[in-house]
Amino acid sequence: MLSIKNLHANVEDQNILKGLNLEVGPGEVHAIMGPNGAGKSTLGYVLSGRDGYEATAGNIDFSGTNLLDLEVEERAQAGLFLAFQYPVEIPGVSNMEFMKESVNVIRKARGEEPLSAAEFLKKAKAAAKQVNLPLDFLKRGVNEGFSGGEKKRNEIMQMILLEPKLCILDESDSGLDVDALQVVANGVNSQRDGKRSFIIITHYQRLLDYIKPDFVHILADGKVAKSGGPELAKEVEKTGYAWLEKAGEKAE
Amino acid sequence: MSQSWLAQAIARASAVNDWLQPQRKESLALLATQEWPGRRTEAWRYTSLHAFDKLALTSASGDVKQHDAPAVAGLNSLDIVLVDGELQTAIEALQLPNGVRVSSFSNADAQAQEVAHAVFAKVKPAKHLFGLLNDTLAQQGIIIDIAAGAEVQQPIRIVNYVTAGVESHNRILVRLGAGAKAAIIEHGANLSGSDAAAFNTAFAEYLIGDKAQLEHYRLALHGGKVIHIGGSHFQLHNEARLNSTLVGYGSQISRIDADIHHAGEHAFAKFNNIYLLAPSEHFDLHSSIEHAVPNGTTEQNARGIVGDKAVAVFNGRIHIHRYAQKTLAELNNRNLLLTRGARVNTKPELEIYADDVQCAHGATVAEINEEALYYLRSRGLSASQAKVMLSFGFIQELITQMPNHSLADWLLPILHERFVAMEAE
Repeated sequence: MLSIKNLHANVEDQNILKGLNLEVGPGEVHAIMGPNGAGKSTLGYVLSGRDGYEATAGNIDFSGTNLLDLEVEERAQAGLFLAFQYPVEIPGVSNMEFMKESVNVIRKARGEEPLSAAEFLKKAKAAAKQVNLPLDFLKRGVNEGFSGGEKKRNEIMQMILLEPKLCILDESDSGLDVDALQVVANGVNSQRDGKRSFIIITHYQRLLDYIKPDFVHILADGKVAKSGGPELAKEVEKTGYAWLEKAGEKAE
Repeated sequence: MSQSWLAQAIARASAVNDWLQPQRKESLALLATQEWPGRRTEAWRYTSLHAFDKLALTSASGDVKQHDAPAVAGLNSLDIVLVDGELQTAIEALQLPNGVRVSSFSNADAQAQEVAHAVFAKVKPAKHLFGLLNDTLAQQGIIIDIAAGAEVQQPIRIVNYVTAGVESHNRILVRLGAGAKAAIIEHGANLSGSDAAAFNTAFAEYLIGDKAQLEHYRLALHGGKVIHIGGSHFQLHNEARLNSTLVGYGSQISRIDADIHHAGEHAFAKFNNIYLLAPSEHFDLHSSIEHAVPNGTTEQNARGIVGDKAVAVFNGRIHIHRYAQKTLAELNNRNLLLTRGARVNTKPELEIYADDVQCAHGATVAEINEEALYYLRSRGLSASQAKVMLSFGFIQELITQMPNHSLADWLLPILHERFVAMEAE
């Protein structure tokens, strides 16, 4: 599904990713952990195609196409979804009209018929209910006046509606209390169908108690420093990331 | 020079003779001292009146066809329709809610005349040249009297249609008694076919009594060759509340003056302005907020989208008098120019003579927010789709703040269609 080879990327002329490799197969859940500044969020932005996050070397294959050749919206239409860490507020654009237009653009890209207003509303209501957002949030401006937790849940609601192939969650757990964390995790787990893949970017192990990853990767200094199974996340919880520096010193 | 047009209008006005004559005479005297506005007239600096040089119009013929007010689902308003200044609605036959009296200039009884005398040219400042013209030339007008304490649920809508080739003058006079509550919609539009010029002035005055609440809308949806010059003027007494939304298209000349006068303490005014100018249209909004007494609050938000070769003029004045301590006043004007050929002249003016006030103002010519654009694109929308959504969202935000949701729901798709057509050109 996703194959990242030797990815180098710059943010404002600063080299952040330095030869990152990652293979994500269909239906797999990969957790990306690592200390602040390791390049976790940069990876999410480079994958989604944000301006200013420039891949300088390496390649990314997404289901047979070169992801780096695609515009932001083409990546979304191809089935890539990024749940943002800090979703932007867009007053004046209602959540509902935004999602309806997005869902239908993506359905069109998949060769499906657009949803009627009634069909969409039914799905939207079900998705809102699933992430525990009151229905009037559909009518409100996109993320306008939402709390941090509501914004995160709104991202998960969008993910459910857009039915992507690959979901990247950028610190969707940060700033959440246990209840909200559970809602986010349930939303993600409900979308696990054996084909859809997930990249869960997180600083802490906490979210992984609720979303069981197949693989855990520790990112440090723009590269995968260590990969393993779920037990690696537990190890991080116990020892923190200090061992990375020691490992780095040893290597130098 | 159009001074001759003015002289000719004054001659016509001198022939008007009815029960409003005492007031009309005063305005006529003021009018006679006025110079025709030119480039050096500050209030008309960016709006040329050259079109008056070759204006050839008739007054209404009297046999205009019956036209219905626009159908707005769920609005359930009390409708009064005028075409070219002539009343189409049988005022006497209206089923009025309790506490509401509606009259026209032609059927005003003593009580209605008393209301008119209290409001006519009393709320609107004398400085507006076309307001003075309207004083003298508006032969028909609507007088609305809301009794003290009456809470009127049904909105009252006054629709003024303009037809090509005709000059017309409308007037609305409203008094809300103490503690009264009402919603009034002024709706101006031209009937289909705006290729030929028309000239319409429409002025409305609102006297809002102690603790009274007015929800007000002015929709100036003309366009084309129409020259529309008008004003909505409000006087707020103690603890009165005004929530007003003005929505304007441009046209050959579209000019609106709005005055909000805090005459009583602890009054609150929210004033939202939205303008959406199709290519080559002209729109000019001059607003003036007078805080004459302490403890008043005004929140004004003006937002416009300006199409190619269109010109928007916004002049927002806030005047805080020397004794108007503890005034809170905010004025913000934001503009979105769709092309390099679009123009806006924006000028917020603060005149503050009191020292204990909170006052903020700002004017910006906005560009699309890049982060929001990326966010929408990351959900599959093309850059152009996302831009339409964001640009329209810019004014949609104020439309959705309208307290009357039926009116907002009706207006949004109409504005959206106009906006999408502008983008396509």
